[in-house]
Amino acid sequence: MDNEPANDSMISWRRWPVVLWLSGFLDQAEREAVLGDLTEYGESGGRAIANVLGLVVRRRTAVLLERKLWVAVALVVLPVSYLLSAIAQTTAGQGAVYSWMYLNNWDWALTRNPGFWHLLREMATNFAIACIMLACWSWSGGFLIGRLPKAILRASRDVFIVLLASSQLSDAPDRVLQLWMYCHGLPLRPRLPDVHAPITANVFYHVFFPWIVLAVLVVLPAFSGIRQGNQSLLLDWKMRGVLGTASTVSLLILLIQLPGFGFLFGAAVREWLWGDRYVMQVLSLLCFWPTLYFIAVGFGHYRRRRSATAQ
Amino acid sequence: MYYFLIQMIGEFEYLILTSAARLGADAYGASIRKEIEKATGRRCSIGALYTTLDRLEAKGFVKTWIGEPTPERGGRSKRLVQVTATGVKKASDFFRAVTRISKGASWTTNRPMTR
Repeated sequence: MDNEPANDSMISWRRWPVVLWLSGFLDQAEREAVLGDLTEYGESGGRAIANVLGLVVRRRTAVLLERKLWVAVALVVLPVSYLLSAIAQTTAGQGAVYSWMYLNNWDWALTRNPGFWHLLREMATNFAIACIMLACWSWSGGFLIGRLPKAILRASRDVFIVLLASSQLSDAPDRVLQLWMYCHGLPLRPRLPDVHAPITANVFYHVFFPWIVLAVLVVLPAFSGIRQGNQSLLLDWKMRGVLGTASTVSLLILLIQLPGFGFLFGAAVREWLWGDRYVMQVLSLLCFWPTLYFIAVGFGHYRRRRSATAQ
Repeated sequence: MYYFLIQMIGEFEYLILTSAARLGADAYGASIRKEIEKATGRRCSIGALYTTLDRLEAKGFVKTWIGEPTPERGGRSKRLVQVTATGVKKASDFFRAVTRISKGASWTTNRPMTR
């Protein structure tokens, strides 16, 4: 009965789920106190909703007025969301090209050609690595956001999502137009002189695919990273330092790899980074650190469970 | 004087402090709300109450903590409130100021209001 109003409460059963859902935007302790007050007070359904909504709005507004939120947005959330949306668009474009080449232009005759399989394997491997790398970067970015103070964490996460979504909506009119033309059975004209014109003319690759990549490879891993980052505040300072440094280095490597950001690094650093291709390869390997972290955490859980079973 | 003004509590803060002081160990969200509504005859929203409690706590006028869950609240906890010594002083300062400034006002002497 923990999630239900008391028998003498006037809160209607129909509206209680709305009250519960709205109260989910509050901190756990405050949520319990507010729901308890409403249950004890016997507030009517509409008034209960208005009360909880009022408190949620006040809380959210208060956070938006906090200077440290906007400092965190400027220093952490905005750079992370920009880097991730930029690399997500690149990955989505790469995936769209590969997918269009193989799925939309499948020819059984090609399967008899050994070169076809060689190229397919190479492209699939490249794309899989790009996807894992994007997920790792997203997790690292989320981890950094998760280490922000608890008071501004939820608002920072919301701003992060809004920034990611707005990066996708930057050419929204074109996407909406394409969807409208598709729904009305009108021929889609490719945007020339785009070399990938046949792909961008395809409504799935142009409208839906980037959102799928953003949701699966950026938002989901980033949310996991935010949760882990928040939990990492309970670890000792050495571990926190190691994890924080790994996340920051990982995102710096992403910054190096994005075209147009070379000016941020000195000529000597640029020469060192790009002069020897092994340097970048080794640096790129560091970006996979979240997978090692998960393996270590999983191994730790396994050992603890095993020792508990042995006792 | 300026220090006194910025430290002066507001009307709603005074209502909360007084209700919490009267209720003593039974002072928590719902009971304070009931007291305020009974005294003023106006609705008191949870949002206004909880955000003002936060403000009072930040100023050091009250101390709040989450109590044990109780069955009459569907197994949910209370946010218990205790007025601090500073809070008591601020509330009594406010009361004295209001009493002093009200002396001679038509509504305190039952005289007809004149222009």
